[in-house]
Amino acid sequence: MNRRIIAAIVRKDLRVVRRSRALMTPLIVLPVLLMIVFPTVFTFLPRMMGGAREAFAEMFRNLPDPVRRSFGEFTEATWIRVVHTQMLAPLMLLVPFMVANVIAADGFAGERERKTLEPLLYTPATDAELFVAKLLAAWIPAVMIAFGGAFIYAVIVNVTAWPVMQRVFFPDATWVVMILWMAPAFAALGLAGMLLVSLRVRGMQEATQLGGLFVLPVIALVVGEVRGAILLGPWKAIATGLLVWIIAGVLLLFGIRRFRRTTLVGKL
Amino acid sequence: MTAISLDHVVHRYGDTVALRDLSLTVVEGEVFSLLGHNGAGKTTTVRIVNGLLAPASGSVRVFGQSPLTDGAAVRRRTAVLTESPTLDERLTARETLRAFAEMYDVRSADIGPRVESLLEEFGIADRGKDRVGGFSRGMKQRLSLARALVHDPDLLFLDEPTAGLDPSATQQLHQTVREMARGRGRTVVLCTHNLIEAQALSDRVAVLGGGELLALGTPAELAKRMSPRLEVSVEIDPTRHADAVTLVTSLDGLTVAAERAGVIRVGGIARDRVPDLASRIVGAGIPLFRLEPHEPSLTDAYFALQHGNQQKTRGPA
Repeated sequence: MNRRIIAAIVRKDLRVVRRSRALMTPLIVLPVLLMIVFPTVFTFLPRMMGGAREAFAEMFRNLPDPVRRSFGEFTEATWIRVVHTQMLAPLMLLVPFMVANVIAADGFAGERERKTLEPLLYTPATDAELFVAKLLAAWIPAVMIAFGGAFIYAVIVNVTAWPVMQRVFFPDATWVVMILWMAPAFAALGLAGMLLVSLRVRGMQEATQLGGLFVLPVIALVVGEVRGAILLGPWKAIATGLLVWIIAGVLLLFGIRRFRRTTLVGKL
Repeated sequence: MTAISLDHVVHRYGDTVALRDLSLTVVEGEVFSLLGHNGAGKTTTVRIVNGLLAPASGSVRVFGQSPLTDGAAVRRRTAVLTESPTLDERLTARETLRAFAEMYDVRSADIGPRVESLLEEFGIADRGKDRVGGFSRGMKQRLSLARALVHDPDLLFLDEPTAGLDPSATQQLHQTVREMARGRGRTVVLCTHNLIEAQALSDRVAVLGGGELLALGTPAELAKRMSPRLEVSVEIDPTRHADAVTLVTSLDGLTVAAERAGVIRVGGIARDRVPDLASRIVGAGIPLFRLEPHEPSLTDAYFALQHGNQQKTRGPA
């Protein structure tokens, strides 16, 4: 594999994405919302709604037993831990998934729609180099945003919760596994799903609509965590991540078998 | 040496046959035109030669290599200018050229000078920092051509290169093609509907129709083969116009059409009968001012070939 050619395609694709307001808006808004606004607001919520302490306590009491037991009695500190390690944590996985999904849609279906794929097919890049370049162009920023966002999230949570917690309590082991192991897996799932969809459709709009369906496992995980149906500990997080890696890997294998110049050119 | 060799190549899109048993060779250093209506198989041929499509049968070699098994090596030596400018509008002109120079694996040290020289050569140096989205169609086409030349290809495919270009840009492109072929020994394959352009630039042309090779040769050969008889404009004393028409129509096999008073156009005349025509007019006492034979053009040959192909496709009435 010619790494220089791969790097050139990745750089070009990322530059193109960076210059698109339509693409950058969701890529900025979603991480800012999930990784800056949500942790800040949810940390301060009990204090901002001082009189509503009993309502939050009631909400806590309604959580499934295993969740409640793992957190102990309801206090403001408990609330902060529940929110950040249980309720909001899986939402972080939406970020790498969506970023990879959106960039992959632009790199495959978008490029075909803009008719800029054909000159790429005429370059000396092999099918494998093209494939790898397109994957990396979507996966690298997704993982970097997830890691960067997670760091900012952790800083915000610890700073805003300091008056209550009086210690650095975040991230916990589950969250570290989630970010370092599950986030890259969900990014791979997002781009693998989009790759498969993009090879079948002609337009970007169609691709984003169909590719978005692959977000359902993430949503299921989020709902499961919030409702306490899935209580992710570090080992469960590792196992879930492995499952997602395997699914993404299988989808990518399907994709690489169809990712041939001779197939792609038929869609131009 | 042979740049491209197609041997009995067949390609199908589903049930539609795009290329039927196409065999031809393109010699290094020549300007070769592929002529044909839409759907004749020109773009399919270019894609097969560059390894973007696999032929159903037949063999393809480019500089002795197979585009299917040695695709990367083949494409390193080729470049394709597609019909519509397929540029990323969010990149600047300079970024576009740099990106493709890297993709074609041009040496890092050579990229900067090469990009600047191409921007200068194609008159877009002062717009190098601007995004392509703001460029006119002509500028985009010039940038596309610069992009195609960024790795100094040995074999350049130009698909309708002058569509949408103004006369000055068209002239510049023609100069580039001539300079590439005559000056630097590069091979140029021109896919075009523009027959005048093909006649002016090409060493040889191939006429395709329905995926079949209808004719192959130099423009002059094809023209002569398809139209062995000439047309001749004859300018005589306007007062003797009617006499000249009567005289010519009395000659065996010739047709006459009046161009304007004092000028007639004589059709269907063999080259060796032109002196006889002149002497008969003069011999009849008709003052002859000018006699100008019109060589058959590639355009005449092209339409004759396509007409013949349509007749053949339709079959006997």
